[in-house]
Amino acid sequence: MPPKKPKKSSAGSKGKDKKIQSPAAHDWELSNQDHPEDIFPMVLTSATQELFDCVADEDVTGESPYKLLEKDDIIQDIKTRAAVSDFSPVKQIVLDYPEDELLLVYDRDFTYGQSFYLVLTPDAKDRILNPPKPETPEVFEKEVVKTPEPKPWISFGSDKEIDEEAFKESREKLLYKFSRVRRKFGVPVCFSDRNTADYLECASYQDSRFSIKQMQRDCGMQAVPRLQSSSAQTQWKFQKNIFTQYTPRELSVEEKENILQLESLKTFCNSVTPRVLQALQQEGIMNVFFDDWKALGTATEDGDWAGKVSEGLMLYQAFTDQKYTKDKKICSVNWHPTIYGVIAVALTAKKEDQLNESAVRASFILFYTFSDPSNPQLLLECPDDIFAFEFCPSDPNIIVGGCINGQVVLWDISAHVTGLQGTQPGKKVSVNTDTCDFHQDLDDNKENKTPIVRYCAVSALDSSHKAPITDVQWLPATFEVTRTGLPVENMYNVSTQVVTCSPDCTIMFWDVRVSNLLSHSASERRQIMDQKTPYSVPDTFKHLDRTWKPLFRVSLPKIDTSGEYAPLKFNMEHYTCNANENGDSSKVIPDYSQLILPSAKTLKALEDVNTKLYIGTEDGEIIYIDWKLGKDDSGRLQSAKPLHCFSIHHWLVNTVQRSPFFKDIILTAGSWNFAIWKEGVMDGPILLSASSEQVCTVGCWSLSRPAVFFIGKEDGSIEVWNLLEKTNEPVQVHSHVTNAKITCIKPWAASSKQHFLAVTDDLGMVRVFEIPKTLYVPSRSESLNVKKYFELEEDRLKDLLRREELWEKQKETEGLKKRTEPDKPVTSLVENEEANVKEYNDYLMLEENVLKGMGLWRAPADTQDT
Amino acid sequence: MAGTEHEEVEETLKRIEAHKGVIGTIIIDAEGIPIRTTLDNSTTVLYARLLRRLTMNARSIVRDIDPQNDLTFLRIRSKKHEILVAPENDYLLIVIQNPCE
Repeated sequence: MPPKKPKKSSAGSKGKDKKIQSPAAHDWELSNQDHPEDIFPMVLTSATQELFDCVADEDVTGESPYKLLEKDDIIQDIKTRAAVSDFSPVKQIVLDYPEDELLLVYDRDFTYGQSFYLVLTPDAKDRILNPPKPETPEVFEKEVVKTPEPKPWISFGSDKEIDEEAFKESREKLLYKFSRVRRKFGVPVCFSDRNTADYLECASYQDSRFSIKQMQRDCGMQAVPRLQSSSAQTQWKFQKNIFTQYTPRELSVEEKENILQLESLKTFCNSVTPRVLQALQQEGIMNVFFDDWKALGTATEDGDWAGKVSEGLMLYQAFTDQKYTKDKKICSVNWHPTIYGVIAVALTAKKEDQLNESAVRASFILFYTFSDPSNPQLLLECPDDIFAFEFCPSDPNIIVGGCINGQVVLWDISAHVTGLQGTQPGKKVSVNTDTCDFHQDLDDNKENKTPIVRYCAVSALDSSHKAPITDVQWLPATFEVTRTGLPVENMYNVSTQVVTCSPDCTIMFWDVRVSNLLSHSASERRQIMDQKTPYSVPDTFKHLDRTWKPLFRVSLPKIDTSGEYAPLKFNMEHYTCNANENGDSSKVIPDYSQLILPSAKTLKALEDVNTKLYIGTEDGEIIYIDWKLGKDDSGRLQSAKPLHCFSIHHWLVNTVQRSPFFKDIILTAGSWNFAIWKEGVMDGPILLSASSEQVCTVGCWSLSRPAVFFIGKEDGSIEVWNLLEKTNEPVQVHSHVTNAKITCIKPWAASSKQHFLAVTDDLGMVRVFEIPKTLYVPSRSESLNVKKYFELEEDRLKDLLRREELWEKQKETEGLKKRTEPDKPVTSLVENEEANVKEYNDYLMLEENVLKGMGLWRAPADTQDT
Repeated sequence: MAGTEHEEVEETLKRIEAHKGVIGTIIIDAEGIPIRTTLDNSTTVLYARLLRRLTMNARSIVRDIDPQNDLTFLRIRSKKHEILVAPENDYLLIVIQNPCE
């Protein structure tokens, strides 16, 4: 076999054994081809293929790719077709071919680049056609069955590597042995001097060859698992399988019978029975185990006897600000619903000042916090004095207020809430200064200037009230109202609607959401678009500013006469809907600027909402009216007539408030007395206080005790009433809490241990009192007792009315009787006379008969016998 | 004769059972096995087992304090019922009553 030479073929060395002969015979262009030199790849056109019967995939296939072609045929083809013939490149070779047949191989896989190749030498042809058979193929198969035997190692070049790495001696070691001559051993040494310059020194020097740092070192490592064997064995000391299954012992029926007849049992029964009967009877009479002492005490006495327990209201803090509260009175106060210790007060100018007002002074709502009693933390700028304002129950950053000129104002304080929260007791006040500086002018370098928040939106002047707004309330988040007053389901579960009332005899319902723009006229729309909010005003309610119109109006026509009532305060029932409880966990406050007023048709109407309002008027009447608009005769939407009207108070009504514990008990205060009403009892108040000497200016229920409420008076005193203790006079009177009239009282439960009462007066001061424990911890079953009391009062009222009717009737009948009295005695006398006469006649007859019988009859004078 | 004695016991127990509010009565012998009962079997067994143990305990307390004293009556007041237990002569009478209020 010729030695192997490196091949140039790219794809050609798979499988087949290629042997290249010396290129001497074929030294023309074949020597540089990338295929073996004894074959020639060529393309055969389909005509040529047909001519030579070697059509691809028909005559020659992948399995039998060999086709022998006659040399003469090829020569003939070359002659006939000359240059066109496919064989023209190999013309010379074919002519030189020694044999008669040439081998054409169908190269299916394009191994040499073309679909056919022609074998050029007979030797190659032989080789291809008769490939040398593989030696001993059978033996190979047999060997698989036998166990593998060790084979001699075939070197693949790795021994060279090992040789290179191995350390071998390249030359023999040189051995130099120095020794002294033997005869000089033991001979005394003699030292002599020598000149050092004669010597050649071999000084040591630093050879850089030996200062190479070894950068890489081969290191052999073997990871060996650390084996540690350990064992554990529990000791089962007492090997016992335990199980228990029992049944109670029972006696059979005969045994029972036997025992039942025993003498001992009989004695037992006899002796035991009296005791048992006595015990049973005791139980029937009373509860022997009832602890009277414990039941006597209230819940407050559970262990809190430490020191003095103060009975009355203790002053906790007083708030006033010289700059803003000068000559102003406070009309309304509210606690911030979520932040601890923040009170907001609305200041209005006093009446005298109002008339003299030529220049408009800025009006503010002040926010005080517990940590800073003399400086307000936040100011809300109002277009005019505010009489009433409220925090939105769903989002305490939204505040709605009613102005003295009848407009409704909205604020958004979300930018300043952190400032308010930062002034909690115990926290640093530095947070406040940062928010302060944010909105200030450059020349205002005073530290701690209170931030002023401008209002976001006011209602349109022509569609607001014509008189000051005296009461503002948010509708609870559980329902909302449509344009006709129909209560429908609230999709967002936030309070979005506001109700205002004013002595111009209307109550208006407003909605803070974006309403349908189509309802606005073109000029208004332009106005909305052109409006640029001033810097630093949040644009939560930009859509409402100056174009806000109420949803609908409720007017209050008088029941009996013409004219209308002028409401001052009102109250509606809070509607709680059970279906919304599952939404409480995801309390996401929606962005108010994105809420859109839904069309009334898409919302589900709620049937069981109480749509009736209790209203207190200027003239002291309490009206009960339904706010739903009904249709009158002409088909227009009209307010219904009030259902009831009572003139209980003689002057302005200043409080109409529902009890936080009973949703049908309402406290109203006005003029010189106050009254408690029950919704549904249409005959009058169930409790009416006696007229006091001072005007009752405000009343409010306690937040934690159902029976306690507070009344503020004109002389600055506060009365604490407890319905379960005394109903004819207050339990406590704190006289002269302030020097001026008390204008507002608001309680607040800051925590379970701290209850506050904010009291505001005419001088602009806010006093916060701490309610003592006795007044805010309810007594045992107080709610039940109060309820019973109210029911009693209701019955008493009904009874009283019934009796009054009865007396009326009796009076009428008495009157009738009196009128008919002169006739009666005459008739009766005549009757009596007749009866007497008849009797006398009968007696005479009897006398006559008897005397006749006795024979003593003497005929009397004939005067009587007629 | 045996029948009349039986009758007496029955009659006595009937007086107790007829009282207002009585839910059931059980008589237990010295070993705690119910002899006569007006309740169903499982309840009877439960009451018998538990109350016998309690009565034994109570009696031992009373006698520990004063050996010449003895337990005459045991009354357990619960929210729903009142249980009266009268031990005497190795027997135990249990009455369960519903309080009237």
